[in-house]
Amino acid sequence: MAKVTIKNLTKSYGTAQVLKSLNAEFQDGEFVTLLGPSGCGKTTILRLIAGFEQPTSGEIWIGDTLVSGGKTLLPPEKRDIGMVFQSYAVWPHMSVFENVAYPLRLKHTPREEINERVHRILSVVHLEQYASRLPNQLSGGQQQRVALARALLARPKLLLLDEPLSNLDAKLRESMRFEIKDLAREQGITVVYVTHDQSEAMTMSDRIFLLNNGEVQQCDTPSEIYNHPVNPFAADFLGKVSFFSGTAEKGQILLPDWEQRIPGREGDPAGPVTVGLRPENFRMEKDGQGIPGVISRMYYLGDTTDYRIRVGKAEVRVILDGASHRRFQPGDTVRLEILDRMVFAGADVQDQLKIRT
Amino acid sequence: MTRKANRQPARTVLLTVLAGLLLFSSLMIGGGIHGISTFDRSGYTTEDVWSWTLRLGGEAETLYREWTAPELATLPEAEQAGAARAARRLLAEAWHVNETDLAEYTDAQVWKLLSMTYSFSRKKISSAGRKSIAAIEDPAEAGKQMLSVLAAGSGIAENPALSGLSVLEGADAAMTAQVFLAARNENATVLSKETSLAFTRAAGDEEKEIEAMQAWAAGTVSPLNAWVTEHARTVILLGALLMLDVILLFILLRQEKSWRVDLKWMLILLIVDFLVVFQLLPLVYLLIRAFFPSGMFSLETFRRLYTYAMNWQALTNTLTASACTMVLGTAIAYPLAYLVGRTNLYGRKFFRSLFVLTYMVPPYVGAMAWLRLLNKNVGTINLLLRGLFGLRITEGPLNIYSLGGLIWVLTTFYFPYAFITISRAMEKMDPSLEEASRIAGASPFQTVLKITLPIMTPSLIAGALLVFVCAASCYGIPSIIGAPGNVHTVTTRIIEYYGLGVKGINDATGLAVFLILIALVVLYLSDFVMAKKQYVTVSGKSTRPAMVDLRKWRVPLTVMMGLFAVIAVAVPFATILTTSFKVDVGKSLLEEGNFTLNQWNALFRDESLGCLKNSLLFGAAAATIGAVISCVMSYLMQRTRIRGRKLPDFLITLGSGTPSVVIALGLIMTMRGQFGVNIYNTAGILIVAYLIKYLMMGMRTVSSAMSQIHVSLEESSQISGAGWLRTMVRITGPLIMPSIAAGWFLIFIPCFYELSMTTLLYTSETKTIGYQLYQYWTFTSQPQACAMAFGILLFVVVLNFVLNRLTKGEFTI
Repeated sequence: MAKVTIKNLTKSYGTAQVLKSLNAEFQDGEFVTLLGPSGCGKTTILRLIAGFEQPTSGEIWIGDTLVSGGKTLLPPEKRDIGMVFQSYAVWPHMSVFENVAYPLRLKHTPREEINERVHRILSVVHLEQYASRLPNQLSGGQQQRVALARALLARPKLLLLDEPLSNLDAKLRESMRFEIKDLAREQGITVVYVTHDQSEAMTMSDRIFLLNNGEVQQCDTPSEIYNHPVNPFAADFLGKVSFFSGTAEKGQILLPDWEQRIPGREGDPAGPVTVGLRPENFRMEKDGQGIPGVISRMYYLGDTTDYRIRVGKAEVRVILDGASHRRFQPGDTVRLEILDRMVFAGADVQDQLKIRT
Repeated sequence: MTRKANRQPARTVLLTVLAGLLLFSSLMIGGGIHGISTFDRSGYTTEDVWSWTLRLGGEAETLYREWTAPELATLPEAEQAGAARAARRLLAEAWHVNETDLAEYTDAQVWKLLSMTYSFSRKKISSAGRKSIAAIEDPAEAGKQMLSVLAAGSGIAENPALSGLSVLEGADAAMTAQVFLAARNENATVLSKETSLAFTRAAGDEEKEIEAMQAWAAGTVSPLNAWVTEHARTVILLGALLMLDVILLFILLRQEKSWRVDLKWMLILLIVDFLVVFQLLPLVYLLIRAFFPSGMFSLETFRRLYTYAMNWQALTNTLTASACTMVLGTAIAYPLAYLVGRTNLYGRKFFRSLFVLTYMVPPYVGAMAWLRLLNKNVGTINLLLRGLFGLRITEGPLNIYSLGGLIWVLTTFYFPYAFITISRAMEKMDPSLEEASRIAGASPFQTVLKITLPIMTPSLIAGALLVFVCAASCYGIPSIIGAPGNVHTVTTRIIEYYGLGVKGINDATGLAVFLILIALVVLYLSDFVMAKKQYVTVSGKSTRPAMVDLRKWRVPLTVMMGLFAVIAVAVPFATILTTSFKVDVGKSLLEEGNFTLNQWNALFRDESLGCLKNSLLFGAAAATIGAVISCVMSYLMQRTRIRGRKLPDFLITLGSGTPSVVIALGLIMTMRGQFGVNIYNTAGILIVAYLIKYLMMGMRTVSSAMSQIHVSLEESSQISGAGWLRTMVRITGPLIMPSIAAGWFLIFIPCFYELSMTTLLYTSETKTIGYQLYQYWTFTSQPQACAMAFGILLFVVVLNFVLNRLTKGEFTI
């Protein structure tokens, strides 16, 4: 219902620049995730959109309204947005019902309508039977849903979620992901979701803004970022990857540690390069044409088996299906075939990988 | 199986030991009671008589053995017999008995009893006699001659050599003889005046003295007996404590279902013992004394007290002043705490430190300042107002010597208590609670009203109640402002009654009960409020506190804040400073010849420096003991699940809630030896009083620091192979060190300038600067007191700075 436009947004605290010139456009009804390690500036963006922080420069538009920028700073309560905080911020002195009804009470909504709408939203988040409880009688997941219900009740144009699942246990976190996603889709709200958890970002987002050091590294759909990361940081932050430095020449890439050459492709950079290999992008056989290697260690994880293969002086990580562990033993000689790989210019990736917090 | 087998012997051994200790403690109590009852049969009111009789007797023995006996031996036998007869006659005379009644005593005993009898201060030699003695040139020779004369049974007047002594009557003569005998040699042991005086004082009247001496001569007072009797009460006390400990330990162990005795329990029990003796006992005694003034239940004290109009006035004054101070103080403190803690006000940190600074200032200093400012005749503000409005009046318009004045000064000096409580809670509150309200559509004002205020309510109430108790139990401010204006409060009445002596103490007790009642009610209320409505507002992850942008209000609010700071803090302190340089308080400092440094120089005289030394010493002693107890208690509270660890905590809280005046009164009445502890008139009683009043401040600081150190830090140290002690020294210690330092200072500073308790407990040797300042104010001059007040202020500020540095900015008070 609302498009968010961000133009040249920066934010500094004193001399520390936490956000360097952000340009973004969140489409109406889109589920956008701001993903990045802690301290990358993602919460700052959220708070800037909410109106809790004033931009150092740049503009934020919600729909056709300039909400932040220049001398304008529309206070949070005038922005018509919903927000779920990391700490849930469920008011301890109000019952669940009162917490959720608060936005309506402020608008002097008639009592019957409040009752009806609160009960409906509570049933959506499965909290109907807890309406009269105080927050300290609820579990973390329940409090989280109270916060969500409260944020959704006012039918905001825009919903901001600040790591809402980080305080929950693993199982609950997984089920809440889908609930939030479904709710957002049902209501057709534009959602900006902040997280540092890559699997959360992958499952929920229409688009991911990958941030590091106050800068957008890449902005694309989950599969595009996963499969075509623009830099080693993006490759590393989403999914598993091993990096090897090498030299690209004559349509081939020499990997000194491997004591091997692998075939190059059209469009690969030339000169010193870094090759990124995801462990699932291998085929491994006992014999064949592939690159020879020896299984040094293997870990059975049930659904998958995680191998370490010694190739030359290097160790390569390969993940196959769980059942494969019956076919291989540590010490076996195997042949590896590379199904897909990423090539980045420059031999030294460690600098780019450093996560500054 | 094996576990049970292991536990069984431990349990048996432990129970045997406990039973043994119980038996031992009952023996102690029984023995003590026996001792006292023996002593009671002799009809004395305090066991002092026993010990002093014994000491006096010892001195008499020495005197007889070393001087009287050898001297007598030089006399012819006939004269010896005569002297003995004379001595017997004199003793009978002094004791108002027949000589036949003394038949059971040997001659030696008669001599000793005679010297004991005449050593009393009561038996004064007449002034004429004293003059004659002074005229004698060779006292030793005179003594010898007098003895001869006595022995010969003839009158002194007949001996030409001693004609000057003719005015002396028989009894005086005998004593004089002994004195002269003793004076023969410089090293002669005479009956010491101190001992005699103490004996006289202990016994109370002549009959008791004689009785005591008879008992001594009869051998009833054996050294063992005397020792037991002297220490009977201490023995009973120790026995009772031991019994209490054993019973407590037994209950605790049974609840824990573990039969291993832990060192921790010993520590708890020791602290409990300390608190029971020095805190609970005085309090309970006060109550008993108030309701059973003469051993029987009677409300006579209260009837007498509360039918006296002035007392009623004091009661209503106390309640009115405290209630108004509470409301006013909280009403000031809340917006200040909000502005300073949650907005982008200019100079927030400065204002914060400024208001916290007032918290460390002795309240009476504020009273002195406001007195100068609002004196109805020459108060600076009054003069200013008159000038401003062209008023042709010589009094007013404002008058500090009134209930209103009292409330105003109480407010300016107790609002920081609420300010600190509230702003601490405000800092702890998760800012996203407020942000969520803004997002939900509430304006900042609505948010404060509907979210911040309700969530803050418990700490708001706690802060308000704290102000109430402090105001109600304050002595310094009412004594300086209220008393001259005839605005009496309960505390000033208590001190006045106390000054009246024995009878006054009963009445003081009756009034103290009123203060205890207030404290208990408030303590209960605040506990109730906190327990009922304790919201968990601390978020798991620390968030940047959201600053409310004041925008167009930023400048006006900062100006208002500045104005308040000037009125409440700057003006009073400046007044103190300028007054300290004045010769004549009534005149302006700038007037010719009205500037002097005399007052400041006087601060460095021995008298003031002696008081400073005392203050530092007592404060440091209290703070050090307090810090140790704080550490132990914090460890017990935060790191163990031992049942009963809340017990000392409760007692400590109760202590700090008890008004200072009541603590002092209770200690005075119970610590004079009648309960086995005699620290009356010593530095000990001051230190104990300070500890009881201020221990909680230190304990809370250390305890909250310890609660913030996750147990895993200690556990990982233990996993790394460090023992408990090493873990404490290497991990926990360094981590909580700043808080321990802060706790130390928090106890030290109020002790350093304490006035209310010191007023009741000081002696000329244990005078502190707080009391010295009070004396300056009352008896010397206001400028002198102001100089001292500002000196104290500077000292405290410097201390605070040191603390800040010491804890790397983590703590200021």
